[in-house]
Amino acid sequence: MAFLSDSAKAPRAASGGAAVPSSWQVWRYRLKVASREPTTLIGVLTALLFTYLIVVPIISIVLDSVRVQFGHERRLGKDFGDLTLYYLDRTFMSPVSVDLFWRPLFNTLSVAVGAILLSLLIGTILAWLISRTDMFGRRWFATALIVPYMLPAWTFALAWTTLSKNRTVGGQPGWFEALGWAPPDWVAYGRFPITIILALHYAPFVILLFGSALRRFDSQLEDSARILGAKRYQVAMQIILPLMRPALMSSMILIFAKCLGEFGVPYVLGLPVKFEVLSTSLFRSIASRQTGVAGVVAASIMLIGIITLMIDARLVREARRFVTIGSKGSMNRQSRLGKLRLPATGFAATIFMLSVGLPLLTLFLSTVMKLPAQFTLDNFTLDYWIGQDLHTVALQTGVLLSPDLWAAAKNTLMIVGLASLASGILGLLVGYVVIRTPVRVLSVYLRQVTFLPYLVPGIAFAAAYLSLFAVPRGPMPALYGTVTILALALMADQMPYASRAGISAMTQLGKDPEEAAQIAGAGWFRRMMSIVIPIQKGSLVTGVLLPFISGIKGLSLFVILAVPSTDVLTTYSLRLVDYHYTQAANAVVLIIAAIAYLGTLAAQKLTKTNLAEGLGS
Amino acid sequence: MPTINLRGAQKNYGVNSANAVSNLDLEIRDGEFMCLLGPSGCGKTTTLRMIAGLENLSAGEIRIGDRVVDSIFDGVFVPPEKREMGLVFQSYALWPHLTIERNTDFGLRLRKLPKAEREARVEKVMQALDIAKYRDRYPSQLSGGQQQRVALARMLAVNPGVLLLDEPLSNLDARLRLEMRAELKRLHKEFKTTIVFVTHDQWEAMTLATTIAVMNEGTLQQMGTPNDIYDRPANRFVAEFVGSPPINILSFDKKAKSDVAKEAEAYLSNRYPGLLGIGSVGIRPEALSYATRKEDVPPGSFSGKMVVTGILPTGGSWILELKSDNHTLFLTTHALPRLELGEKVRFCAPPEALHVFDKDGQRIAEADKLLRSTKLN
Repeated sequence: MAFLSDSAKAPRAASGGAAVPSSWQVWRYRLKVASREPTTLIGVLTALLFTYLIVVPIISIVLDSVRVQFGHERRLGKDFGDLTLYYLDRTFMSPVSVDLFWRPLFNTLSVAVGAILLSLLIGTILAWLISRTDMFGRRWFATALIVPYMLPAWTFALAWTTLSKNRTVGGQPGWFEALGWAPPDWVAYGRFPITIILALHYAPFVILLFGSALRRFDSQLEDSARILGAKRYQVAMQIILPLMRPALMSSMILIFAKCLGEFGVPYVLGLPVKFEVLSTSLFRSIASRQTGVAGVVAASIMLIGIITLMIDARLVREARRFVTIGSKGSMNRQSRLGKLRLPATGFAATIFMLSVGLPLLTLFLSTVMKLPAQFTLDNFTLDYWIGQDLHTVALQTGVLLSPDLWAAAKNTLMIVGLASLASGILGLLVGYVVIRTPVRVLSVYLRQVTFLPYLVPGIAFAAAYLSLFAVPRGPMPALYGTVTILALALMADQMPYASRAGISAMTQLGKDPEEAAQIAGAGWFRRMMSIVIPIQKGSLVTGVLLPFISGIKGLSLFVILAVPSTDVLTTYSLRLVDYHYTQAANAVVLIIAAIAYLGTLAAQKLTKTNLAEGLGS
Repeated sequence: MPTINLRGAQKNYGVNSANAVSNLDLEIRDGEFMCLLGPSGCGKTTTLRMIAGLENLSAGEIRIGDRVVDSIFDGVFVPPEKREMGLVFQSYALWPHLTIERNTDFGLRLRKLPKAEREARVEKVMQALDIAKYRDRYPSQLSGGQQQRVALARMLAVNPGVLLLDEPLSNLDARLRLEMRAELKRLHKEFKTTIVFVTHDQWEAMTLATTIAVMNEGTLQQMGTPNDIYDRPANRFVAEFVGSPPINILSFDKKAKSDVAKEAEAYLSNRYPGLLGIGSVGIRPEALSYATRKEDVPPGSFSGKMVVTGILPTGGSWILELKSDNHTLFLTTHALPRLELGEKVRFCAPPEALHVFDKDGQRIAEADKLLRSTKLN
């Protein structure tokens, strides 16, 4: 033991007979110190829990991809569970691989790249207008332009179909069609609308990240260049842009990672023209019980996700090198727009209308009008909300009177509520253990394992859960179709945010208040109840509320794991879409959007935090 | 409270890292006001935290009276909440969600005292520290000095046998600091608690402590009364750390020997031929005097010629900077120096003002006997 080397050398005249302790004495002492408080025990228990809930499912689905699945024993001439390369071959090399993997991959990449470019274009301009110019209504726009991110992405997808649906799918005509212009397929479905919608949905990322980088940018750097004779565009190209690069890269990568796991939008808009991305391909493999192939696709999605976010982590680390130089002299100087002031405001307003106003208005109108795009008084109705005895095959009442909605709402509240409550509390506990435990390995492991789901897109994570919990294993019964699996998956999926919130809260708290209580004579439990939790009340509320909001609007986890009896609001509305109950579906989506929006506002009010910090939830 | 005893106490954070505290023997007796003094990073706070039980030992043991509270050999570790001590943190660590009264009351509630007694005791310490009028406020509504009083009150309320203070005055402004020092001294008398006080401020240590323990790089350098520390520093580190302006050091090391050091060497070997193995000599600035004429130099004192290069008034006293070819001396005087810059003067020091250290920087005890017994002839 290194810590004894000095005492061995040092003169020990006064230390009455102290000799070097034997190693078992050292271990006994350490054990005593470590087990004195439940911190380490809790740490070990949570570490085990998250290994089971996060690491094991991921391993399980990776194993699925290289092992013979049920039903393929005869074809492959091997026993169930034997190692095989069949699924890898089928997904990557066989004639069907184009449909299973390569085209979806290409589509995913092309949609993501398109969405990134478009959102960068819109986002950087808006960020600059909001943070560095004298555009009208900057403050209002600063909040308003973030709203698209608070709404579920497929809100826009549904609005888009409502507007531009054509005869490729049945049901009520779209608004444009009703007005006499039938949009061609490429406008109505597939790559084009998906790209636009994702771009509008994720532009807030750019506005937030790029905007905060712009605000932190030191105007003196700009001034120095100007004094040395640089022209405006030279300053922009040679000074501002290079310094903004990390923020831009970071938002690009975040958007990419988000697009990778996006399910709702491509599902609604891609299906009619068989436009598949990786997430829908995965969904189809699972729906058609192709477990092995699903494993391969899910593992591929995870791999791409992990690589992307590793690149991001590296970029962030590199960015820190020169961000820290950004001195205190930072002044938020505004450029005068002059003649462009009005057009600039118009641009921001247009984007707001396109990304918030139009979709929400469309959805809302569609739920109160019998025939699309006919603005006569007798065409308006509240039947879709509160009607009774309607002449339809199913859903003979307005959606608000339908027991299915309330069942779904109840499920949502229960599942999402339970999961977010659990993740909030566990997040705080993890934070506590990570900061306090004397066992370093435990701290590092907990920090990393709870971060892992962040690297894995929700739909792949759900597939992993399915792979592990669909059949009974050991003492664990089969969980598929239960509320439990949904709650567990959601909780695990939210742990990155919850544990990050917990860790940062505990770091901020420091250990002094707790040690003071310890000195005053308070044991561990007492300190938790009267000191730590009361002080951390605020962050505990955020740690519960943020996962709750993101769970309410989340779709990709549920779409894989939910069955009709465990419908939540999102899957319920998706089911309504599938049955072409467009108005009811839109109404449900509006309800979700309202909850998500109000919840976010409440969370911000309650905790006085900025949305930028909750980014990515 | 019985005596607190640290034996061979050692602390390091993680394997392979340097010792924050190594092989520390320390005895704190009942009723003592002990100051742990040293530069930042010397291990004084770690020592305090080990006594409190907030850090566990890497080696050695701690006893309170006959009771072992921390020992690897015995496999004993008594957690802080069972040691019945008080600790005031540098940051005060008031609980932000509790009022001043509840902060003060916290420890008493834990001890499950009857309500009437709790109220009486809270009232008493809040009165003693003059914070009763803030009882319903929250810590964030108080100034630094008031927070500091609450932190003290909170610990005094439970009437601990030992009160540990971790640089409690360092966040206060100069005036408040002076007031709180007097306050602490008064509390020490009134409550009769043992106090262990960590500080890097020598004035604080000198004015407050009954015993000072000087630490450096995790080891104890010297323990003694404030006068001991100042008048008989055990080694060069203590000599140089305590005192302001710092002690003048004349190094006898061959490479760095200045002309003044050579004179000192000649002086000592002439008058005290038995004194060998000298590494350096220290003279405190206030022990030095100066003379403009040779006949004014007190006979038998160590003296030499130098030039006045600086006269720095400090309000009530003056610091003179004297230079020879390759040495600078500082001298403190309380009488207005009637000197010009560039004027030639002689510095003089009586033999008993010379602190003689050996080549390892340890005080040569024999030298004291020689130097301090000889009367000037």
